[in-house]
Amino acid sequence: MLLALDTSTDWASVALYDGREVLAEATWHAQRRHADELFPTIERLLGTAHTTISEVDRVAVATGPGSFTGLRIAIAAAQGIARGAGAALVGVSTLDVLAYPHASSKRRTCPLLPAGRDLHYAAIYQERNRRWARRSPFLVGSLDELCRSIGDHTLFVGEIDGAAEVTLTTLLGAKAHFAPPSARLRRAGTLAELGWRELERTDQVKLGEIEPIYVRQPLGQGSFDQPFAPPPRDDAALGLPRRS
Amino acid sequence: MRILGIETSCDETAVAIVEDGRRVRSNVIASQTVHAHTGGIVPEVAAREHLRVLDGIAQQSLADAGLTLADIDAVAATVGPGLVGCLLVGANYGRGLAFASGRPFIGVNHLEGHVYANWLAETALGEALPPEPELPAVVLVVSGAHSDLVLMEAHRRFRLLGRTQDDAAGEAFDKVGRLLGLGFPGGPAIELAARAGNPKAYALPRAALADRYDFSFSGLKTATLRLVRELEAKGPLPVNDVAASFQLAVTEALAEKTARAAAEHSVRTVLLGGGVAANLALRAAIERRIGHPLLVPPPRLCTDNGAMIAAAAFYVLRHPGTAIPVTVTSGLKLA
Ligand SMILES: [Zn+2]
Repeated sequence: MLLALDTSTDWASVALYDGREVLAEATWHAQRRHADELFPTIERLLGTAHTTISEVDRVAVATGPGSFTGLRIAIAAAQGIARGAGAALVGVSTLDVLAYPHASSKRRTCPLLPAGRDLHYAAIYQERNRRWARRSPFLVGSLDELCRSIGDHTLFVGEIDGAAEVTLTTLLGAKAHFAPPSARLRRAGTLAELGWRELERTDQVKLGEIEPIYVRQPLGQGSFDQPFAPPPRDDAALGLPRRS
Repeated sequence: MRILGIETSCDETAVAIVEDGRRVRSNVIASQTVHAHTGGIVPEVAAREHLRVLDGIAQQSLADAGLTLADIDAVAATVGPGLVGCLLVGANYGRGLAFASGRPFIGVNHLEGHVYANWLAETALGEALPPEPELPAVVLVVSGAHSDLVLMEAHRRFRLLGRTQDDAAGEAFDKVGRLLGLGFPGGPAIELAARAGNPKAYALPRAALADRYDFSFSGLKTATLRLVRELEAKGPLPVNDVAASFQLAVTEALAEKTARAAAEHSVRTVLLGGGVAANLALRAAIERRIGHPLLVPPPRLCTDNGAMIAAAAFYVLRHPGTAIPVTVTSGLKLA
């Protein structure tokens, strides 16, 4: 049984997955109450699925980019749970989770998440040679800056408020497509599926190696206002968790 | 009962295992060094560092005690006061660990941890523990973030007598340490410099408010700044003399109020806690006034650590109905 946790933004999501189906899932607007609502929600879902935490032998956690504090809540909780249950732990990028349900659309997909102060986190996903994958580094910037590197017909998903939708339409015109509100949401069921697959494919990383994808430099080190993450050369530069 | 205690409220990532609230089985403390070059703690940097090392520290703590998670009866973590982003790391890791291993989770007030550090003993297994501190007690908790004078009437029963109205004592030490070019943290550096200095060299205002048990360090800080500027204009700064004079002004104020509180409430014991409690001049000043030896935890238990959190958690469990809400609260108070 896999437990998936995501508190990357004001939206939080938790799911239970058995490798074949999503057994229970909750997605809610937690605002700043993640820390208080996460564990009661996990307990409720375990009850709904008529199972117990002792059945959980895999944990998947969303590693961002997103709210720094939010990311750390789920990752710390996931590390504790994995350690306590003796479960394997895997981290999956929050943007990967957002884009994945749209893979079958075969459209260039750009998930967006608020990064504060009119900035957004983004990445570009596209099918190429029948392989759906992230085709850009994790980016942070204003919609204006992000659109300059997008240009083409793109499906936008994620947390896009009214103002952002207007801005994108203004910048890209008919090239901007929007998934319907319910299909824009991030669901831990998707995270569970991606995490399960990752654990089938690779050895688990050490618990402490699951780290948030911060994208921006930490405050007090380098420039916080760095508008755009430089193009990465490798996975480490992408902020992906290191593999042992 | 063995409790695993987690402390991440500021810049130490610490995990310890304590038996029955008293016997320290292991006590692992990782002091973050990333803040040395900023001369102060950057909360976001501190929170990142906690998450990066916490799981490893917890494993180390179990290994040091020669125990596994199966030997642990409960998990405790600091839920306040402290930096919210930092507290959230320890509290959520601890809650996850407790939940998944089917153990109770206990949220602990960091200040209570400093008080209960006085119940800890680094006694080897099989050896008898020293007697417990007798209550009621007057407790002075002084650190980089706090200066609280508290009456402890019984276990888990605290009454606030006074606290700082502005900076914490340790904060004043840090600021003056920086002013004197002694680096960060300032407490140990000032104590060392003061040993070679004359505490009567300069008259600085006492860090106390008359009549009440409250403290104030801002006036003293400003006066020290003015003194340093004046002396610098005259020639090389007599760092040791300024450090000694400043330290005297702080410790006299703390000692005077602590001793007065002890007499007024005719307590059996005077306890110290917090990083500044490691300051020997402070201990001596209090002992001189109360006329008998003080109880002070060893230095490694005075500064932030997980053992004190595990100790406090034991007394929370032993006194039903006194649980602390598990919601992380930056401004949690002792009383
Ligand atoms: Zn402290």
